[in-house]
Amino acid sequence: MGQKGFFTDTTLCIGCKACEVACKQWNQLPDDGFRLTGMSYDNTGHLGASTWRHVAFVERPVPLPTQTVGLMDFSWLMSSDVCKHCQRAGCLEACPTGAIIRTEFDTVYVQPDVCNGCGYCVAACPFGVIDRREDDGRAWKCTLCYDRLGEDMTPACAKACPTASIQFGDVDELRERAYRRVAQLHEKGWEQAYLYGADAESQPGTGGLNAFFLLVDKPEVYNLPPDPVVPTMKGKEAWASMGWGALGMAVVALGAVLFGREVTHG
Amino acid sequence: MGDIRPEDLEKRQDGRNIDSRLGELSGEGAQQRVRDIDEANPTRGVLRTRPSRSGVLAESPSYYGQPALKEPVWIWSIPLYFYVGGVAGAASVLGAATDVAGGKHLEGMGRKCRWVGTVGDMVSAGLLIYDLGRPERFLNMMRVFRPTSPMSVGSWVLAGSGAMNTASLLFAGRRGWLGRAGEGAALGAGLFGFPLAGYTAVLIANTAVPVWQATRKTLPLLFMSSAMASAGSLLELLPHSRGEEKILRLFSTLGKVCELLAGVAVQHEASRLEVLERPLKHGPTGRMWKAAKACTAASLVLGVWPGRRRWMKVAGALLGSTGALLTRFAVFRAGKASASDPQATFQPQREGMGAAEVTGNTHASDGRPFEFPLPVLRESPEPPRRQTSSARFEELEPEPPSAPES
Ligand code: SF4
Ligand code: SF4
Repeated sequence: MGQKGFFTDTTLCIGCKACEVACKQWNQLPDDGFRLTGMSYDNTGHLGASTWRHVAFVERPVPLPTQTVGLMDFSWLMSSDVCKHCQRAGCLEACPTGAIIRTEFDTVYVQPDVCNGCGYCVAACPFGVIDRREDDGRAWKCTLCYDRLGEDMTPACAKACPTASIQFGDVDELRERAYRRVAQLHEKGWEQAYLYGADAESQPGTGGLNAFFLLVDKPEVYNLPPDPVVPTMKGKEAWASMGWGALGMAVVALGAVLFGREVTHG
Repeated sequence: MGDIRPEDLEKRQDGRNIDSRLGELSGEGAQQRVRDIDEANPTRGVLRTRPSRSGVLAESPSYYGQPALKEPVWIWSIPLYFYVGGVAGAASVLGAATDVAGGKHLEGMGRKCRWVGTVGDMVSAGLLIYDLGRPERFLNMMRVFRPTSPMSVGSWVLAGSGAMNTASLLFAGRRGWLGRAGEGAALGAGLFGFPLAGYTAVLIANTAVPVWQATRKTLPLLFMSSAMASAGSLLELLPHSRGEEKILRLFSTLGKVCELLAGVAVQHEASRLEVLERPLKHGPTGRMWKAAKACTAASLVLGVWPGRRRWMKVAGALLGSTGALLTRFAVFRAGKASASDPQATFQPQREGMGAAEVTGNTHASDGRPFEFPLPVLRESPEPPRRQTSSARFEELEPEPPSAPES
């Protein structure tokens, strides 16, 4: 089986949205209402319960390093976003029902028949990926086409991508390919190309992502957090603080009772 | 296709534009019904900002100012549960303390506390189930025990506390081993009371929501002291003897003092960055936060005022309860506000308050070394833009209001 994942090379993305459509078709997700959001050509906005691939259209008055446009400095960055299938997944660690599991392909999957719709995963994902739908109450996100992987098929989005911007495969192999691609881009003068979340060293807060990205601007520009952390890493301090609170509460409660007893007796 | 016309498909509003008579839908998302997304520009007027201006070249970049996180989906029943659970937890603790140290003639008070605890546990469970997207699957909460999930720990605590409180009520006053079991259950309920009063704060601190995550060291103290204040206030409203009154008054007064101090501490912890503190300071949430403090302070003053009359006691207890309730709602709404502010997510992480804070990692995800505090600004100076007629990235002027036609 091995670790499966995506390598999304955003420099190759042409914003055709084939991945969005393929995902919706394979998974039979409803459309999002065919409306432009009013910002750029993005008509889905963000990943959500019914949008498991989202193509971001970043419009910048900055030229790309190797391109010059005659009239003005301008460039598009396009990037297809998806659930990151984190090594340390906030959603998985938070789910109280065990609905979210790690599959034999090392991906993160929500079991539809177990989720009770508590919504804790929604607040626990540091990337804002998973969401709960009001109409059916379940939490939804990319499954990395779990049903296709079982049949030895490529996930629908990667299959449909016409430019190989979305690449699917074994994570180790993808990582190799990604490093080579970054080196290649650096040679061509794209100094700012880098990998986002490729391994635990570059993103210790999540232990690395099974779906990682090649970016050419700051992560924030693509709506990605620069230094995400799985919330449980910081949760220990909250538990410790609760322990101190419990101690204080015990002292106050016992003190009040002893004091009250004294007064009634004396 | 024959009888299927495009209009029919549109009328069906299935969101997939598939005629389900032609085959059965069995894909992963087949049960989902369609819902319209919120329109970004419902007025359909001219947008006043250029996306390219508001997005990337703004001082701290973001994706057109879109939220980076999902707002927590919880509704009003959750902050209300924080309150009720706090009351139940603190009352159970006080009940157990009375049993341990109170002696014979405070037995009645112990029982009263356990009643409040039991009812509180049941109401809490009701509120929790009400909030679930699929309430019929509530029992799945008891399917696993997951220590990394405060919500899982909390459900077991709530279940344990409910069972213990109920058992202690059922067996109270019985003779023999049943009676002893009842006493043991009362103590057990007291022990469960501590986490019941505090775990809700850990639960929200253990999320990606910026303001909750940033205040993780003080929120549990706030919730626990506020639980003492609210349990004391509620019990003060019930009939009680003079001896009990002394206890309750001391308990709730100390609770209120701690609540006020913890409130200051929370605000101080949030003030590490302006974006984090913002929801606690401004807007309706800020006002709610201030009102909560004012109610608690007023209740504290009424509580220690010499020569108390009956109305003062009642008013003090009511104000104390209101203060505790408002505290939970303010914290809750501050979290929602900070989750939908992308800068509240990005800036703390740029300042080393993301994973860097725990792991001491030295490089941001764009490969550049962290320097604390990190500049949030774009590092590379803005490339000189050529002044041409087609470089249209200025803000548009607002449309002048058209004169009303007469
Ligand atoms: S990106 Fe979010 S939803 Fe996806 S695995 Fe990571 S924590 Fe879970
Ligand atoms: S909403 Fe469902 S998947 Fe998410 S944490 Fe709750 S039970 Fe788990």
